Amino acid sequence: MKMKTILLAALAAAALSSASYAEDKKTVAYIAPSLDISYWQWVGYGVKEKAKELGMDYVEYTSENSPAKQMDNARTAVTKGVSAIVIGPVSSTSTPPLLDYLAKQKVPIAFAGIGPQPGLTNYTSSVTANNYETGKAQAKFTCELAKERGSKKVGMLSLPQDRENAQKYLKGAKEAFAAAGCDLVQMLETRGLTISEAVTQANDLLTANPDIKAIYGMYDEAGTGAAKVVETRGLNGKIGITVADGSPTTIALLKKGAIQGIFFQEAVGQGIDGTQQVYNALTGAPVTQDMALVMPLVTADKVDSPEAKKVIARVFPPSN
Amino acid sequence: MEPGSAQSLGTTGNLPGVGLASARKTLIEASNVEKSYGATRVLRGVSFQVRAGEIHALLGGNGAGKSTLIRIITGLTSRDAGGIDLRSSKADRTSPIIAVVHQELALLPELSVAENIGIVHARSGWSLISRRRMREIALGALRLIDPAIGEEIIDLPARKLSLHEGQIVEIARALSTGAEVLLLDEPTANLTAGETAKLFSVLKRLVREEGIGIVFVSHRMREIRELCDVCTILRDGVTIANAAPLASLSDGEIVQQMGQPTQRQATHRNPQQNPRQGSPIELLGPGDVRISILSGTILGLAGAPAGPTGLIAALVGAGPGAGWRLSGEGFGDRFPSPAAAARAGIGFVSGDRATKGILSQLPIVDNVLAARRVRERRRIVAAAERQECRDLVSALKLKAGSIWDLPASLSGGNQQKLLVARLLGLPLRMVVLEEPTRGVDIGTKHDIYGLIRQMADAGAIIIWWSTENVELLELCDAIFAFDTDGRPKGFLPEDRYTEGGLAELTGMAA
Amino acid sequence: MTDATNGTTTTNKLRTTRFRVPAVLFSYRTEVAIAAAIVVLLLAVGMFVPAALSMGNLQNIIQAAAPLIIMSLGVLLVVVTGGIDLSVGSVFSLTGMVTALAMASGADGLTASAAGLAVGLVFGSINGLLVTVVGLAPFVVTLITYAVAGSLAFIVTNGRSMPIGAPDFWLLNSGEIIPGIPNHLLFCIVLMVALEYVLRKVVVGRWFYAVGSSAIAARLLGIPVLRIKFAAYVASSLLASFAGLLTVSYILNAEATAGASLMLQAIAAVVIGGASLFGGTGSAIGAVLGALMITCIQNGVNLIGVNSFWQGSVTGAAILLAVLIDRFSNKNRI
Repeated sequence: MKMKTILLAALAAAALSSASYAEDKKTVAYIAPSLDISYWQWVGYGVKEKAKELGMDYVEYTSENSPAKQMDNARTAVTKGVSAIVIGPVSSTSTPPLLDYLAKQKVPIAFAGIGPQPGLTNYTSSVTANNYETGKAQAKFTCELAKERGSKKVGMLSLPQDRENAQKYLKGAKEAFAAAGCDLVQMLETRGLTISEAVTQANDLLTANPDIKAIYGMYDEAGTGAAKVVETRGLNGKIGITVADGSPTTIALLKKGAIQGIFFQEAVGQGIDGTQQVYNALTGAPVTQDMALVMPLVTADKVDSPEAKKVIARVFPPSN
Repeated sequence: MEPGSAQSLGTTGNLPGVGLASARKTLIEASNVEKSYGATRVLRGVSFQVRAGEIHALLGGNGAGKSTLIRIITGLTSRDAGGIDLRSSKADRTSPIIAVVHQELALLPELSVAENIGIVHARSGWSLISRRRMREIALGALRLIDPAIGEEIIDLPARKLSLHEGQIVEIARALSTGAEVLLLDEPTANLTAGETAKLFSVLKRLVREEGIGIVFVSHRMREIRELCDVCTILRDGVTIANAAPLASLSDGEIVQQMGQPTQRQATHRNPQQNPRQGSPIELLGPGDVRISILSGTILGLAGAPAGPTGLIAALVGAGPGAGWRLSGEGFGDRFPSPAAAARAGIGFVSGDRATKGILSQLPIVDNVLAARRVRERRRIVAAAERQECRDLVSALKLKAGSIWDLPASLSGGNQQKLLVARLLGLPLRMVVLEEPTRGVDIGTKHDIYGLIRQMADAGAIIIWWSTENVELLELCDAIFAFDTDGRPKGFLPEDRYTEGGLAELTGMAA
Repeated sequence: MTDATNGTTTTNKLRTTRFRVPAVLFSYRTEVAIAAAIVVLLLAVGMFVPAALSMGNLQNIIQAAAPLIIMSLGVLLVVVTGGIDLSVGSVFSLTGMVTALAMASGADGLTASAAGLAVGLVFGSINGLLVTVVGLAPFVVTLITYAVAGSLAFIVTNGRSMPIGAPDFWLLNSGEIIPGIPNHLLFCIVLMVALEYVLRKVVVGRWFYAVGSSAIAARLLGIPVLRIKFAAYVASSLLASFAGLLTVSYILNAEATAGASLMLQAIAAVVIGGASLFGGTGSAIGAVLGALMITCIQNGVNLIGVNSFWQGSVTGAAILLAVLIDRFSNKNRI
């Protein structure tokens, strides 16, 4: 008797929920590679806000860095009847089967942060940072900082070089360093992406090369770590620090003058732009397939300007 | 815990109120103790007293409940019903210090011998350790049993000790506590005759001079008669005889009350009946020793442990083996590993059944079939195996609830049977047994003798090391003896095939 | 009777020639070997980068090693009892997050630190209870708390890293209670000496070894096995918690991923330091040296500028070496 009631209730609930999908309200799913990195939370925030603005529902999945889980998520989303997907893929190489599947299901998909495998065309849009150009710009700026401080020698705290974006940053950076006449004397790669590791590495970097005058930080924690080390050693201002990504922590350091410039990775912006593109695809408006955004630089002196505030709004949610 | 320094054990104690039988105070009184494990009622109302100044034999077959009773008295196991009353004869204590030598060695393998003995002497967890004092206590205690052994092993981690040395350390620990009650569960199982004699004289002196109470569990009638004053006999969890004076009972009566068959079974040697075929296998030892054995023969090894263990190590591929080599059709010079020995058709039952025999986390069925599966290259766990196992279990009279129980549910003797049964019916050329009857009651012993004879009749060579000369004489076709230094001494001649002859040859009375 | 005793003498004579070694040096042989290996490693790196041997770099190594050292000491206690603690990295992270969160909501440094250490106490107690009272396998229990504490570290601040507000909080790590010795070094020394003393010289310390050596035998001897195990897990979590606090005090920032890589490093440090994962062996000095060794390898790899992907392989080689030294200086019988 009791069992029957429960079954009936469950059936009713299922019917109701499927009915809600049958309505005309569109849903966008955001599939993050993992949600323990704030960057992917911020992309999600952008997707969510833009979806609200466009009158769409929002659902969120996390692939826990597993391509298989990512595929499962996509299937689940499609089965649940979502209209479009914005994805931060686990890796570029994990995307071909995913795109084949979504193309068959005719669900538009936009990439944020990390693009699809090169050579593929069956996706709606790819909104990424232009790592190569950003690498060039950051290296040029870092080199200037070093020269102002009387040396051509610079060091780098890099992302693991097995990552595609890290390779592109480095390629651009090396070219720019060469062009500007700077010496990249040492590069250390992170493994844990933590501030404490960056502190240790920055210390080791300066111990091995005491004549370095500027540090290129390829990820946010690198900037924080390098700033910490420079401060401890009493070298404030004597060693220039630049950093890519940007967060409340590094912005605070930028305001203090402990960091000279941040190249902002527009996480929220990528979510917003990606959502706009899939919406366009759904409504028949024109789409831009490849949007490679050069990361905007904000320097210490301009951090409170309206332009800077506009940039930062596209980086992380205001609550941060 | 009151630390009893080793010195005090050596001097004459002047305890008041001890000495006369009439004044003997009851230290432990267990009345109607009951204990069940699941559906098995191990103790069904056991009563038992330990009195000061008395050596009390606790007797019973395997599974009669002796070890359980000891565990309940020492508080390691809870009881379901009944009472345990503890009283000290010393004015300043309410309950006596009880020291136990457990049947399975309770040594801490990574700690040194000194610490293994000294660790029970701490007043509390927060007291400091004095290595010097620990060593003194340990040395003093070890010397009581074997003056030669102390210095040599005192700093070794216990895992480097032989079974024999481990046993001595454990007894020394119990003696060193200055206990009023000593519970000794098969303490002599791993001792040589000389050490046993020394232990007994220490125990007798402690009883006489210090007035302590001793509980002695053993299957060796001779030792019981030599040492004990009274006996309590358990059968199936019930007290059959309660503190009966030993002098009033004959061996036959005791065995009968234990519920064991009194008749010796027809397992003992009968050289004419075994047709021996094939070319002999030869064991070549140090100093041109040559032992030639035909299949179907039971060869006994006797003497101080060092000798047989060396030979056995060589036979089962467990080490260099003191210069022993093997020669015979299908056998290499020596085995590089135990696996090589097993492949060559040599079966082995280790004397260390707890760590080198039983697969403790696998049910009985897997334990019984383990060797078969390897030998016969079985790939699939077939349903037929279950029947095969049940047949074996019932043929062996294993007291097991179910073949899916863990071996821990079996008594020590039944575990030993299980280990021997593993090799039963396998096409083995040689079976090596290390003290398969250690800590086993008479009934089970005869079951195991039967199994051994059965394997010999199937054509295997049996190499059997035992420290009980009587059973060697009873069962073996030939006995090879080692002297007290472990050097090979030679075969026991046919005309001297008696206990006296064997004692003379080995230098050890058993 | 005399003949029989002669029998045992011979077996022992055989052994005497094999095993006689000076006792004190012998019992610290692993530690001496690692210390030597660390010196050799530093000198080798110094050949490439002279600055490696500078005072500054040595201070860097100590600072980088301090949290790992403290965490390793805790893990050691568990490993000695024959257990394992996989939750230390997560407890480390969660402690930092809770402390930072407490400060952000207005608590002063002391209260916030207490809140952080409470994390260690709670998770240590959970580990201890599940292992002792419930009787689950330590690997499983701490795998559970590893996962739970790890995810809580993200949940409490939604994965964001938290800056530290309290202005004097840096003193915990970098202040000098004893002038000339930064606190993190002081803590390491005090904890190491205290633990080594307890483990070697106090009865309760020997009980840890006894339990790890054979829990069954220890129980038969009347040693409070369950209480010892419980204490080991609580101590391990508390020390991990304290290490987390120290790190937060150092970088003035709490991160949810801070301890992720530390758990395996701590276990590696303990193993390099001569402890057996089967229990019953290991020393506090060894664990500290193991942690230093791992940090020196990282430092050396960074200074020389080898691709940091090699760090793992070099650390692995160090573990192998340490275990082999132990194995061959200490042959087991068959």
